Amino acid sequence: MTRLLIVLGVVALALGVAGAASGEAGAAVCVTDDAGREVCVERPAERIIALSPGVTELLYAAGAGERLVGAVSFSDHPAAAAELPRVGSSDRLDLEAMLALSPDLVVAWSGGNPEEQVERLIRLGIPVFYSAADDFATIASSLERLGALANTQATAHQTASQLRAEVAALRRRHADAEPVSVFYQVWESPLMTLNGEHWVSQALALCGGVNLFAEQSALVPRIGVEAVLGRDPEAIITGGRGKADAAWLDAWREFPDMTAVRQDNLFFINPDLVQRATPRLVEGTRDICRHLEAVRERR
Amino acid sequence: MNDADFSFRGRAGRMPPLVWLLLAALLSQGLALVLGSVAIPLDALGAVLAGGGESLHRTLVLELRLPRALAAFGTGGLLALAGALMQVLLRNPLADPYVLGLSGGASVAALLAMLAGFGTSLVAGSSFAGALASTLIVFGLAHGTGSWTPTRMLLTGVVMAAGWGALISFLLTVSPVEQLPGMLYWLMGDLAYADSPWPVLGVAAASLLVMLPLGRTLNVLARGGLQAAVLGVNVRRMEWLLYLLASLLTAVAVTTAGSIGFVGLMVPHMLRLKLGNDQRLILPASLLAGGTLLTLADTLARTMVAPQQLPVGVITALLGVPSFLYLLYRSR
Amino acid sequence: MASLETHQLLIDVPGRADGRCLDLRMQPGERWGVLGPNGAGKTTLLHTLAGLRAPRAGEVWLDQRALARWRRRELARRLGVVFQERHDDFPATVMETAMIGRHPYLSPWQRESDAEVALAQAALRRLDLEHLASRLVSTLSGGERQRVSLATVLTQAPGWWLVDEPTNHLDLHHQVATMRLLEEQASAGCGVVMCLHDLNLAARWCSHLLLLYPDGEACWGPAEAMLEPAALEKLYDQPLTLVEADGAPVFVPRV
Repeated sequence: MTRLLIVLGVVALALGVAGAASGEAGAAVCVTDDAGREVCVERPAERIIALSPGVTELLYAAGAGERLVGAVSFSDHPAAAAELPRVGSSDRLDLEAMLALSPDLVVAWSGGNPEEQVERLIRLGIPVFYSAADDFATIASSLERLGALANTQATAHQTASQLRAEVAALRRRHADAEPVSVFYQVWESPLMTLNGEHWVSQALALCGGVNLFAEQSALVPRIGVEAVLGRDPEAIITGGRGKADAAWLDAWREFPDMTAVRQDNLFFINPDLVQRATPRLVEGTRDICRHLEAVRERR
Repeated sequence: MNDADFSFRGRAGRMPPLVWLLLAALLSQGLALVLGSVAIPLDALGAVLAGGGESLHRTLVLELRLPRALAAFGTGGLLALAGALMQVLLRNPLADPYVLGLSGGASVAALLAMLAGFGTSLVAGSSFAGALASTLIVFGLAHGTGSWTPTRMLLTGVVMAAGWGALISFLLTVSPVEQLPGMLYWLMGDLAYADSPWPVLGVAAASLLVMLPLGRTLNVLARGGLQAAVLGVNVRRMEWLLYLLASLLTAVAVTTAGSIGFVGLMVPHMLRLKLGNDQRLILPASLLAGGTLLTLADTLARTMVAPQQLPVGVITALLGVPSFLYLLYRSR
Repeated sequence: MASLETHQLLIDVPGRADGRCLDLRMQPGERWGVLGPNGAGKTTLLHTLAGLRAPRAGEVWLDQRALARWRRRELARRLGVVFQERHDDFPATVMETAMIGRHPYLSPWQRESDAEVALAQAALRRLDLEHLASRLVSTLSGGERQRVSLATVLTQAPGWWLVDEPTNHLDLHHQVATMRLLEEQASAGCGVVMCLHDLNLAARWCSHLLLLYPDGEACWGPAEAMLEPAALEKLYDQPLTLVEADGAPVFVPRV
């Protein structure tokens, strides 16, 4: 036993690892990422780079915000994230900037980052966690897994449990609600909506809303005004371009025969709350549920 | 009856092709009204056109399909007319406003406006200014200190177009992700942006009225500047007029529907292969055929994978390129 | 009658010294031949006479008026030019090409009348092109195209014919036919100026000659006075032998 410890100590010294500082040398942590890969860190990650604004937000929510050393452009939530050093944008990474930060964990965005660049990071021996959070369950489990890698399990677990509880509460409250047909407008020109696989559709479903374009094959399909008029949604919800931008909603008032316009069921929700799959989505979902309740009252 | 007789039979002799094209234009408009992501039975459509019908059908046909079909027609007509004029100006059957970098200038200006977060109307105004600025740059540089020649102008335009292309790539690279779909659709041409069909239709009609009496002069100009001068044409003034008019038409078209390629190049060329090169026939024929082509292409773009919408520029290319190549292959 | 005159004219051949000022007095009915080696400025002179090119100095007068004071359209009814180079980038039939000769006579909205179509048809017949009327010019041989250009000017019916190398690409039969056409025009009261590189055609068909030397020197006058072997040898820098055939002088290069 003693000999074994000596050998370990020698190896550690030989590798130049200053393991004593973190005090937990050899306690490797492994989790499974959203791509089904096993991701291991020798020691709790202390220099993390997040490769999408959403992933940055997840890491903060998991309590690992202080361990972030780099993020990509548009990572603006929470406010502290805006101060992080930038390593390019999510679709064009600056590998040199990343390596200069000597990360011990990179959290990549499945499908959002250039595959070749991420693979090069893996080849360089940097642990990479692929994140593909696109529903409440994955958001919650992502928090816990990221928390495990960063050794912030306590915060992560608490946030995840709270998220699960709030979602369950919403689900219970609206389980028997009358369905409301909804057109969710992502963008105006071109006119774009979301299909059934998007988390916003799941948020709608939680509140008893039915996405009118759920059957579309593209995640963010571009559609025509005519199709919206033809399907005549009972409510139109949009995040607009930013804070309380009513212009997109007002454009629909040109068609007073639409049910949504006639009933004044045109709703704005803060796009920040729904455009990323993060714990804030539950706040956005609460807003959606509130709006759909109003729709039912106006019937 | 040989072609020479045909060409010089006067008005009656040259009607048939225009009559056919007019019929095709009307047919395309009809098709654009019938087809859409919502199926409207023909009798319901008839009721709407007669002034009655269901309220939803009225909205769909009168407020969505009709203005858009007319805008498509006007835009296509403008692009084809501008192409026909540019080809005479440069004495090159393969010239068009896009080759000369006009749409590139318009695109860069439009993308900048989108990047700045401007609304539809400011994007349109910006693209108009961009097209005109590009016009002036190309013409100014082609003039330079030396003499003006079609080759020099074509080269200047091609190089400018390449420069604009690089700027477009740059702008797409630095733009936020959520802006990209709008930008890409604009770059490929999209009639969903067309607010009202009247500007394009008005400009198309007005420019045809200006150019028709000059048709014979253009015929002479197409044979070269010296030949035209000898036959009494004020070549310099005529070339300025052609260039400014073609640029204006392109600017209006681009402003209405984004940057739609191929129409200005293909339509006049295909017509020349079939009808000869009398501008008095080619100019109105280009207007009608360009309008018809774009109306059909836009109807396809709206309905092919409805309710999803495709950019119309992709359709014009997919329709136009094979038929153009076929005609070219068949013509000696 | 409409004379074509040059006053102290210096044509603008880039990179050449001024040379001699041209003071030509050309009258209707005369057939002027412009002779000179390659690069002597024959085409430049022709374009200057047609007002297509600014001279370095001096003026060209048509009918007692400087060209600059004519309206281009008026001028187009009086001066016809057959160019050496032609632009056939766009498809056009032989008939359409001949018809553009009527352009100076038509107002913008006016269309070609039957009389004008008949005029063009007559011109095609005169140049032996009637059977090609509906062919595309781009499908014709060089000689046929040359005749189409002549037919276009014939349709234009100008008072002055300015012709650059009228016999280019033509076979012997059509060379003679073309020179006969120009002679016919001259005897009908037109003036003819033609650039020629064939000395013998000039000797046979021209009433007056203008010799243009590469250094800008020039001399001109009635043909018989100008056909001096010594002057011509100097013009072409080539020894010549003079023989006589059918009563006309024939110059043969000596090798």
